[in-house]
Amino acid sequence: MTHTLDRIGLSENHSGEEIVILCMVHYKHKEEKSEEIQEIARTVLKYKPNNFIGFPLSIPEEYLLPMAAQAGIVTAVFTDMSSITSLVRELREKALGISVVLSGLFSDVRKICDETGLTEHTTHYTAGVFGKTDELPDHLTLEITTQCGHALVSSHYVSNIVKKIRKGMLTSEEGAELLAKPCVCGIVNKKRTAEILAKMAQL
Amino acid sequence: MYVDQDLCRKCADCLPICPVGAFEIRNKKIVINYDSCVECGVCLRSGICTEGAIKQVDEIPYPRIIRAAFSDPLHHHESTEVLGRGTEEMKTNDVKDEFTEGNVGFSLELGRPGVATKLSELDKVTREVISLGGEFATYNPVLSLMENPDTGALKSEVLGERVLSAIAEFIVPRERAMDVLGELVTFINHSVDTVVTVSLIARNDENGGHSLLDDLKKLGQELGFNPYPNGKVNVGMALVR
Repeated sequence: MTHTLDRIGLSENHSGEEIVILCMVHYKHKEEKSEEIQEIARTVLKYKPNNFIGFPLSIPEEYLLPMAAQAGIVTAVFTDMSSITSLVRELREKALGISVVLSGLFSDVRKICDETGLTEHTTHYTAGVFGKTDELPDHLTLEITTQCGHALVSSHYVSNIVKKIRKGMLTSEEGAELLAKPCVCGIVNKKRTAEILAKMAQL
Repeated sequence: MYVDQDLCRKCADCLPICPVGAFEIRNKKIVINYDSCVECGVCLRSGICTEGAIKQVDEIPYPRIIRAAFSDPLHHHESTEVLGRGTEEMKTNDVKDEFTEGNVGFSLELGRPGVATKLSELDKVTREVISLGGEFATYNPVLSLMENPDTGALKSEVLGERVLSAIAEFIVPRERAMDVLGELVTFINHSVDTVVTVSLIARNDENGGHSLLDDLKKLGQELGFNPYPNGKVNVGMALVR
């Protein structure tokens, strides 16, 4: 599950624009780490992420903790370095024995590691997209659709929403909320998506 | 999935939400093109149809059910114990230590981003991976599709099924990684009828350094690709005591 990887459009010129956190229990340890993953979910929510697992399905926060235990996973998106660094520091202090993956610019992850006393352990890199690349939509559309690791955000839906923004039927923020819904893992960065939609609507 | 024609108001609001454009207007009716549809469930979950005209069939038969298994992240893969179409790969590597200093993991995700793929394309890739000496990840759902793990051949009955994406995950020795990548890029560009996102997994050095990224950049200059400046990093949290 490459999942939070392969996101197009992040740039060293926009450091801190987006860090996705994914906390995962190895499947053999799901039962014994049930309390710990719920503690992680509680801690992640405390730092008010831009988006998080369950949010697109309108799952109430009180159900998120048992859901995290059942799935063995918590995902959330942060759009500022200060919050994510504080969250990672708190998780380190709690030493819950659960894996944490940060997705973003490698330079941003390095800063977070330096600030929190962690060291990068294993990295997943993207070489690029190959093959029939002439079938891909335009770059700005890809900046939105590649935010869903399961490819559930339709490029046709992006075009449809851009048209509605141009006609004044939606704001770019409302458009971003709609586009975040198909991504059940809650890893679409709604703030960045709204900015991209605003840019597309101007074209 | 199907459209209940008694409930459908023909507003066409559902058309754009499908990631593969499977909704069609045919004879003044909104219908689903079953060849295109990958059973991802987005149309139903989205609640886009206020009339409730989009409905799920009671049971999707085999081999069509494979579409849901590889396209709907809420579909549980019995072969991996993991929701979705992949594995835990490097996400829990600080616990399981599958990716060591001496090897590199590859993820070839066919159909991503947003193009989808027939499993006949995956069949081409799995055969190529085996011919290059790749060792498939144990808990990859792609393994459950294989008829012959020695050749990488998939079961003939699944080849016509279409999925949002399928990930071939395998390991090669570190010293062969760039040669294998170069051969795969050429193979994919010439022989595969969809897009393929290519990604690699490696242990960082003891100071957290990214030596594989340096190798990727060098090969990228030769072959004309640019590795992304972003990616996924396991920060070793499970090892903190």
